Amino acid sequence: MARVDIAPAGVGLLVRMKCRALLNQTREIVEDAPVKVFATTGFIAMIWYALYEVFWRGFAYFHIDALQSAVAIPLLFNFFFVALLVLLTVSNAILAYGSLFLHEEAAYLLSSPLRPRTTVGLKYAESLFFSSWSLLLLGLPLMMAIARVQNEPWVFYPLFLLYFVTFIPIPGAMGLILAWVIARHLPRTARRALACGACATLVITVIWGLRSVQQLDWIQEDWLDGFFARMSLIQASILPSTWVTRGIEAAIDNRVGDAVRYLVVLAANGLFLSWIAVHLVAGGFVAAYDRASATRGKLERPACAASGGFAGRLFFFLPPPARLIAAKDMRTFFRDPMQWSQLAILFGLMSLYLLNTPRFTLGDTPSRWTAIVPFLNLTAVSFILATFTSRFVFPLVSLEGHQLWLIGLLPYSRTWILGAKFSFAMVVTLSAASGVMMLASYILRISFVSAAIHWMVAASVCYGLCGFAVGFGGRLPQFEHRNAARIANGLGGTINLVASVLLIAVMLFGMGYVTWRVGDRGITTRTDGMIFAICGLVVLIGIVAGTCAMVVGARHLKRVEV
Amino acid sequence: MSEAIKLDGVIKRYGHKVAVNRLSLSVKEGELFAFLGPNGAGKTTTIKMITGLLTPHAGTVDVCGHRMGTDGLPAKAQLAYVPDQPFLYEKLTGREFLYFVAEMYRMDTASRDAALDTLIRRLDMSEFLDRLAGSYSHGMKQRVVLAAALLHQPRVLIIDEPMVGLDPRTVRTVKDLFLDITRSGGTVFMSTHTLEVAEAVADRIGIIHQGDLIAEGTLEELRARATQQHSLESIFLELTGSDDEWIDGES
Repeated sequence: MARVDIAPAGVGLLVRMKCRALLNQTREIVEDAPVKVFATTGFIAMIWYALYEVFWRGFAYFHIDALQSAVAIPLLFNFFFVALLVLLTVSNAILAYGSLFLHEEAAYLLSSPLRPRTTVGLKYAESLFFSSWSLLLLGLPLMMAIARVQNEPWVFYPLFLLYFVTFIPIPGAMGLILAWVIARHLPRTARRALACGACATLVITVIWGLRSVQQLDWIQEDWLDGFFARMSLIQASILPSTWVTRGIEAAIDNRVGDAVRYLVVLAANGLFLSWIAVHLVAGGFVAAYDRASATRGKLERPACAASGGFAGRLFFFLPPPARLIAAKDMRTFFRDPMQWSQLAILFGLMSLYLLNTPRFTLGDTPSRWTAIVPFLNLTAVSFILATFTSRFVFPLVSLEGHQLWLIGLLPYSRTWILGAKFSFAMVVTLSAASGVMMLASYILRISFVSAAIHWMVAASVCYGLCGFAVGFGGRLPQFEHRNAARIANGLGGTINLVASVLLIAVMLFGMGYVTWRVGDRGITTRTDGMIFAICGLVVLIGIVAGTCAMVVGARHLKRVEV
Repeated sequence: MSEAIKLDGVIKRYGHKVAVNRLSLSVKEGELFAFLGPNGAGKTTTIKMITGLLTPHAGTVDVCGHRMGTDGLPAKAQLAYVPDQPFLYEKLTGREFLYFVAEMYRMDTASRDAALDTLIRRLDMSEFLDRLAGSYSHGMKQRVVLAAALLHQPRVLIIDEPMVGLDPRTVRTVKDLFLDITRSGGTVFMSTHTLEVAEAVADRIGIIHQGDLIAEGTLEELRARATQQHSLESIFLELTGSDDEWIDGES
């Protein structure tokens, strides 16, 4: 029997293995799906450029006036880094919980001769790596924009990047500790707790921010004092976001000494907090894993007939086979916090924005603003829906692959599967979109005709996007996968996303033209008939596109062999 | 022979449900122990406690003289665990995964390559070992995971449902591998529903039912306990009461 050296391997071995896996994955994607690489890179570049433009125009606007610039720019950075602190803490907590307490890899590493600290250290490094998207996507355009406006010297760039790099471990460590606390004390409902916590944090943050701004009397001369008094909480010296902001301010003003001092403060705190988090979580890792895995999935739910209950009644209009499948999908939707929380967060934020929109308008005078807002709402709703259908609706058909032996043997056409998926997606998306559109119409006192037209277009967008997601899901299924995220990220998912964005772009182009043509008057009963014809055409485009995709998907699904 | 695995009064609860109830059990070096039981009887929970994935609420677990929980690292260095759902890094090839495992157990290159050559040949893995593991069938994954478990020549092999997804030739190879391990002084602790395999290779058999170890011994000892039963299947059904329940249900 061979003897083994029991000195446990270090985190270096695991990092090397992960790098190798990442290299293999990159090579595989580049070789197998170059279109996906091209499309993803293109989309990231577009988003990146759009952010850069927004940041640059914003900074340029503030830069016109010296006082305005001195007040607004540090405040913007403060808001930005506070938001980043909260978001990265929550996202790191979700990532750390999944990788430490849910994935099979954690069990494998835990049964291997590795110290818990090694496993926790690896997972912490992984979540920091995944958090770095904020640097790539948000940090770089922000840096380029401010540098362009302020004509910064070269030393500003490395300092700014270092601020991001030293800042990320702080929310990372807090997220790691949060995940451990949840696993240790709330394992039974951990995912739900995380999702609810994320929703609540965002809602509270936004409400607080908006209330702070609303409660100011903008006419009084001392508004600036009042404003700063209310903002003092997010500018507290104890917050890491404040250190970054002050450091960046120093870097902008070419005070290199001060900038470096704040950088050192950030780095020291980041390292210290990381050390504490890794050691704390490693010390209680086995106990937390034990508790999380021992109670996972053991929540009992009241049974009801497959087509009964709320979910069944919701699809009363469908024939029995499709009703069964749609009701099952609806139950899955409500039992998976990742699905409903994403939709709830996006539409919740939008509703909050709408609830506060009148406060920012100047009196009750109808203006171009009132004519444009419905179009902007439609744009926001369309992109939120495209995200939802691409991520959650597209994989639905593929996920039935392992059940096709059951569903495929039923004495019904496979087309019913697509019909059921489409009905489920329409009910969810149309309910959410209608709620937001109606709220917007009520609050902004949009004319009935305009509200009805925009609602019809939103319904058509829902139809088109759901038709695309289900139709492409049937035409390009990936039955071999069980992971919805992986299916959505595959070639079919990418094609669906690109097609969905193109469809939205075409429909919004039409509605943008309408908004431009009607001007301040908005759409009323006296609007030119040509405008109504264009709106009708836009609605028709959504319906025809969605139906065509469904037909193509249904034809292919009938022939497909699993 | 000394004890390779020793459980003493182990209790594990999930909420109010007792999954494993005062389980005391020892498996000696050079022994192949088959752990049987109906679904939900507590087999996997027991295995997870032996491997250190779960912590017992009461009692102790020792592996090769090291107490799991307080002295877990030396214990884990001596054992290998193959779960019922084999885990592989999908973006590594089988060979890369095996190299990783070898390095984790601090094997030098020469002994790693020698052990790997033997395992590749015996488990017939040469065809697919250099492909990404994400493309493997269940049987291929099972073979690679088994190779990873045996690579560092562990003193104790814990294996949950070893034969699921394997073709008859590989089943035969795995049985031979188990026998080789026990002949060279190693210990195999196997949980299985495949009673023929247990009957063919196990030195001793334990039957767990609703968290209690209801029978333990050699096949002959179990036969002696059961009334006029000859096959392990009949003994298992009689001891776990499944036979009667099935007949009652049918009637």
